[in-house]
This record gives sequence, C-alpha cells and structure tokens, in this order.
Amino acid sequence: MSQTLNASPRALREAFYALSTAQDIPDAKLLDDLVRQYPQFGAELTEFAVAIAVDSLRGDRIIEAAEAAIDPNVVSPAVSRAMSHFQNRLHAVTTGAAQETSARANVSDAPNPFSGLSRTEFRGLAGRLNANAVFVGKLRDRQIDPDTMTSGFRKRVADELTAPLNAVVAHFAGRQPIPTGQYFKAEGKPSIGAQQSFEEAVRNSGLTEEQQRFLLGL
Amino acid sequence: MARLLTKTESDGTPYIRPPGVETQIDEASKLSLADLRGRLLITDRAAPRHLRSECLVHLVREGRRSCDQARMNVVLPILLGRCEANLRVTVADGAIPDAANLRQQILDDLTELFVMDGSGDFPDELDFYECKFNKAFRALRIDAVRRAVRRSKRSIDVAEMPELEVKSMPDAFEDAFAKVSEAFRVLPTQEWDAYREPFLQAIEALPPDEREAVMLVHVLGYKEESEDPEEETAATRCNCTGRTIRNRLTRAAAKLSRFKEDL
Repeated sequence: MSQTLNASPRALREAFYALSTAQDIPDAKLLDDLVRQYPQFGAELTEFAVAIAVDSLRGDRIIEAAEAAIDPNVVSPAVSRAMSHFQNRLHAVTTGAAQETSARANVSDAPNPFSGLSRTEFRGLAGRLNANAVFVGKLRDRQIDPDTMTSGFRKRVADELTAPLNAVVAHFAGRQPIPTGQYFKAEGKPSIGAQQSFEEAVRNSGLTEEQQRFLLGL
Repeated sequence: MARLLTKTESDGTPYIRPPGVETQIDEASKLSLADLRGRLLITDRAAPRHLRSECLVHLVREGRRSCDQARMNVVLPILLGRCEANLRVTVADGAIPDAANLRQQILDDLTELFVMDGSGDFPDELDFYECKFNKAFRALRIDAVRRAVRRSKRSIDVAEMPELEVKSMPDAFEDAFAKVSEAFRVLPTQEWDAYREPFLQAIEALPPDEREAVMLVHVLGYKEESEDPEEETAATRCNCTGRTIRNRLTRAAAKLSRFKEDL
C-alpha cells in the first residue's frame, strides 16, 4: 500500500482493501472469510478490522464538511509537494532514468526512521548502539557515506530502531537534507556538506576508545 | 464507455464501478479542459455537478496512460486536496506523533499509485479507488498510520481517561457495552454527532488489547469463546483464552462506563 517506506506485501494490501471496501464496518463473517483467504495475515487483519471499526466512529459527515470547505483555487503546500513528488517519480519512471537514480530520488523523500524519535528515545538509541547523540545525529542527517558502513552496523541500527533493514539502508542512501528556511545568517545559501566515512564519523564524534572499537568491529 | 477494470473478486468476478461513477466518467471524459476545471471547482458532494473522487481517479489514470500532462495537472491536485482535507481530520495534529509528515507521506503514497499504475507488483491497485474511493483511501491511510505507530513504538496519543469506580459491577458493565453497540447503530444521526468525539477518545484511550476485545465482541459480533474448536471467537482471533477476553472486557467496561449515561 504505502510505497515510500516498508510497503506492506501485496497480498496484505489487497486484503486490507477488501476489508475496508466491503462494508462500512466489518463484521465477524467478513473478517473470518478474509482470514481464511489470507491465513498468514490473521493477526494483521484482526488489528486492521478493529482499526476500521474505531475509525468509523468519526462518521463521514465531518470529512464531507472538511472537503466542502476546501478552496479549490488554492493549492496547499502539502498538495504542491505531493504533485512535485508525483512529477519527479513519473519523469524517472517514464524516461527510464537509471534505476539507481530513481531509487535514490525516491528514498530521499522517504520518511526518516530517526525522525519519529523523541529526545529520550534518541538518547536511548544512542545508548543501545553504544554510541552517543552526536554520532546518532550524523546517522539521522545522513552525514556518513553509506558505502563505508559495514553490513553488521547497518543491521544493528535497524534492529535497535526496530525498523526494516531495507528502510534503514534506504535512509542512509538518500540525499542529505538541505536546510529549507527562507532566511540564513550565513552569507551564502546553505549547501549539503561532504559526507564522512564511517570510520571518520566514529573517530570524530567524541566516542570513547571502547565505543569506537565496538562500532568499528560490527 | 470507460475502460473495464481488471481487478477481480476472489471468485473471479470483475470489479465494476457503481453506475453513478460510470455515468460521470462518460460525461467528464468528453469535457474540455476549461469545462473540466469549472466542474472541479464544485466541492459540495451533494451538488449535482460535483465530480466524485472515483471519477477523478479514472481521469488521472487515463491522463497517465495517454501522457496527457495537462489533464493530470488539472485533476490530480483537486483529488489530493480532498485527501488532504480528509487527512486533517483523520490524522489530526496531536493525535499521532509527527502527524504532518505522516499526512504528507500518505499523499505521496497515493501519487505513487498513479506513477506505478499498470506496472509493479499490484498493477490494478487503483481499481479499488475507482469503485469506492473513500473506503480504499481509508485502507491506505489506516495501513500507513498502523505502520507509523509501529515504527515509533508508541500508542496513539490520546487523552487519558480517569479511572472510574463502577458501583454495581455487572449491571454497569452490561450497560456500558450496550451503549458501545448502540453507538455503532446510531452512527449517522445528529444525536451521535454530539457524543462522537468523547466516545472516540474513550475508545482510543483504551489499551490496545482491551480495545480489540471490545470491538471484536461488541462491534464485529464475535462470541467471547466457544466450546466448538472450529468456531472463530474473540479468543481465537486474539490468540488467548476466553477468560483473558473477559478480563479485558471487564477492565474496558470500567473505563467506558462513564459514557453509559451520556450516550
């Protein structure tokens, strides 16, 4: 369903659509039928059916009212960004641009798996990685050349984030974010800084010798 | 006549658009770009000339197939605008961490379906949206929220409900659950609108296992448990015992009982 990060498998997406479109609120018979068709997704379908039932409490009226209040002459920033995403992806797909470039453009738009972490969780992650917040900040901001990271390190990060490995790898491979503020104190416009190698990042983040040994040994 | 859909039901029956959507598609496909723009300005779903989202999906897909950039650029922003309005209600700020980014991700996901239409591992995924747009979009949204919550390892952030004493235990529990079931039966009424938000908050504030037990038994209609090993029940769905389900229901009822008089 979601294409940008950790999309659910096709069969599960199909089952979700079937569950959502068959009735306003699913009942036991519908859920049982779908679980029989997709026994491997029994738990997910049950969770999804419950979520639909809770969601239906909102009713359509409030959503209708929100739609009716739209000014169709105004394109919001969110819609503008989505259109930009659409045009970029469409261009990449239709022109047959190099697959790697396309994937890179895509993942750069993908959510950052570090972005949902609260300050406490961020520190907790640093602790579990036997690192510190400076180093994890470099991971978050894609300041480390992904080609220099070991596979063991990537896997450890994915495990500690409880995120799929491919999502974490995709994050590291994405473009570094450019500051998007309108005003800058510096004379020049902000630009993307050069990436450090994994070893450089480990050596230059204020980590103890033991922490450095641990991370480089992953 | 609009191109036939390729998606089929599990028994092989092809998906068919509702007749009203077919009629709109036939009509809208013949409109000039200028006339189409005019129709897209109508936002009231009840207005006779309002174009349904199912129809807009079809127009964008046809634009994608025929490389008609102008048509896509006219129709898709309107469709996305409707989705954004929906998301502002259903993925509201404060209800879930990083809601703005999640809304953006869902909009991007929707555009991705158009990009990959006719290819990839699910080439006819948009057929669902041409039949029942709002329900298909609900599936996309709930799946995205579900995964985002899982990623952040947090529960949906909702108002804490105070623990309430239940004076006459069995009666109060039965009454609370009767009101839960009743709430779903009276959903579309104006009377319900007054209680919608607090009731939704109360349900969302329940711990996931209690919420699941309440919904499975009192909304989806499962028995708590059964002596028949073949019968699916709330207990089998949750992979636990009937006693566990009853305990969860008891705890949930105590929290929901405050609504027994309001609803």
